[in-house]
Amino acid sequence: MQAAPHSTQSTKRAEFERQALVHVDALYGAAYRLTRNPRDAEDLVQDALLRAYRFWDSFEQDSNCKAWLLRIVTNTFINEYQRKKRSREVLDAATAEQDATDGVLVHADATVQRNPERALLDRSVSDDVQRALEALPDDFRTAVVLCDVQGLSYKEIAEIMQTPVGTVMSRLFRGRKLLAAALRDFALAEGYVRESAAAEQSAEQPPQAKSAVAIDLDAYRVARAAKGSGK
Amino acid sequence: MLCQSIDTLAMAFLDDELAPEEKRELELHMGDCAECRHHVETERAELSVLRTALAPPPAPDLVKVRLAVMLDNADREEQRQDRARARSTIGRWLLPGAAMLAAGAAIFAFVMIRPPEAPQTATVAKEVIRQNSRTLPLEVRGASTGPWLRENFSKAIEPPQFRDTKLDITLLGARLTAVNGHNAAQLRYMVTSGDNKFTLTAVVIDELSNDDLTGGSPVKVGDRTLHIHDANGIPAVTYVDENHMGYAFASERLSPQELLELVVSSDLIGRAQQGR
Repeated sequence: MQAAPHSTQSTKRAEFERQALVHVDALYGAAYRLTRNPRDAEDLVQDALLRAYRFWDSFEQDSNCKAWLLRIVTNTFINEYQRKKRSREVLDAATAEQDATDGVLVHADATVQRNPERALLDRSVSDDVQRALEALPDDFRTAVVLCDVQGLSYKEIAEIMQTPVGTVMSRLFRGRKLLAAALRDFALAEGYVRESAAAEQSAEQPPQAKSAVAIDLDAYRVARAAKGSGK
Repeated sequence: MLCQSIDTLAMAFLDDELAPEEKRELELHMGDCAECRHHVETERAELSVLRTALAPPPAPDLVKVRLAVMLDNADREEQRQDRARARSTIGRWLLPGAAMLAAGAAIFAFVMIRPPEAPQTATVAKEVIRQNSRTLPLEVRGASTGPWLRENFSKAIEPPQFRDTKLDITLLGARLTAVNGHNAAQLRYMVTSGDNKFTLTAVVIDELSNDDLTGGSPVKVGDRTLHIHDANGIPAVTYVDENHMGYAFASERLSPQELLELVVSSDLIGRAQQGR
């Protein structure tokens, strides 16, 4: 009897380590891309894992632990970090969202124009990624991180973000287009990509024109069914 | 119709989200329509570049250490609450009871809710904590400490350097000492944190085996194991490297977690992880 509370506690700890802590690299990766800096990423992982540990009893043992943890990381990010950030930069966020929805990427980095050599020295590809992510509205970034960093399905992302699958798809589509365009621009600015190759690609794929297209799998399915029955 | 919806279809196709017959239809269509085929292939290449660029770094070791310490704290907190609950239950129980019963229950409660055994502190850690509290004259000071260490010990050892950005840590000097019959050197560091100054003691002990460090709570950092000890509220962190050189750190002004972070951020652990 004496040892009971203690041993329950150590069983819980052992189970948590076995099932949850093994995902720490994945959780940190998601947090790193969501918050865009190591310090906030660590805070976010700590907050989320502590929450997960406190609510470990409510985790259904047979379900997907990684998805459950990612949901906690994402929700913590959306609820705490986003709110904190929002209150700090209400205006900035609104402008970024507006710009991104208009298909204009906020990447006008004055340093590049003023001092290209210095800018080159300061930069690495990974900085580019973080900066490109910076320019994305949180909702777009969250969808891209959950899909392209964590490999979750549209349905899983929709559940975590509490939005319809269609919304996930359009956020994902636009988020990816904006990121790809930003990375291409940064690479071009630093000479990673030849001007001609980039020009070729952007001529093929003007991101503004493409992002005007509605991404709607449901509409396609409805139209397809209607056509099928009409045949 | 497929051409009109190619943005949607290409995306769902590449994310493997199409129903089997939708997928078949699109594949058939791509056989006929060069434009859609090209579109899907361009998207595929772009997505692959994007996913490679987005691959994040793994969690740093220090983050993992802090998480382990955080969970330890959560466990301790929960045990404290359990004990408090147990106490209050027994308290309610006792009120109507006779004095005899109360005395009996109190003994029982004492046995039942005794705090879990603190991890046994290794003799080595106790010795380091004891040495940390005494200020004996240094035999060597500052930059001469490294050469002096190498003269006095058979192995190539370096005084650990700290790279913590929050604290300014300077090696003051060292003196020879002994720990449990092993040759040892006591290194003294001055830590400056804002207006506060305090000492950090590191003891380097020759020919130490892991058995000399039983007790304490093990913490894994990469493939290395460190131990955290606690002697009457003063923390110590110990580590034995592959050459049987033992290192023990203590400072009464730091929490166990702060001390552990400091040790992990030192070049001692960095050196070990580079396989030196």
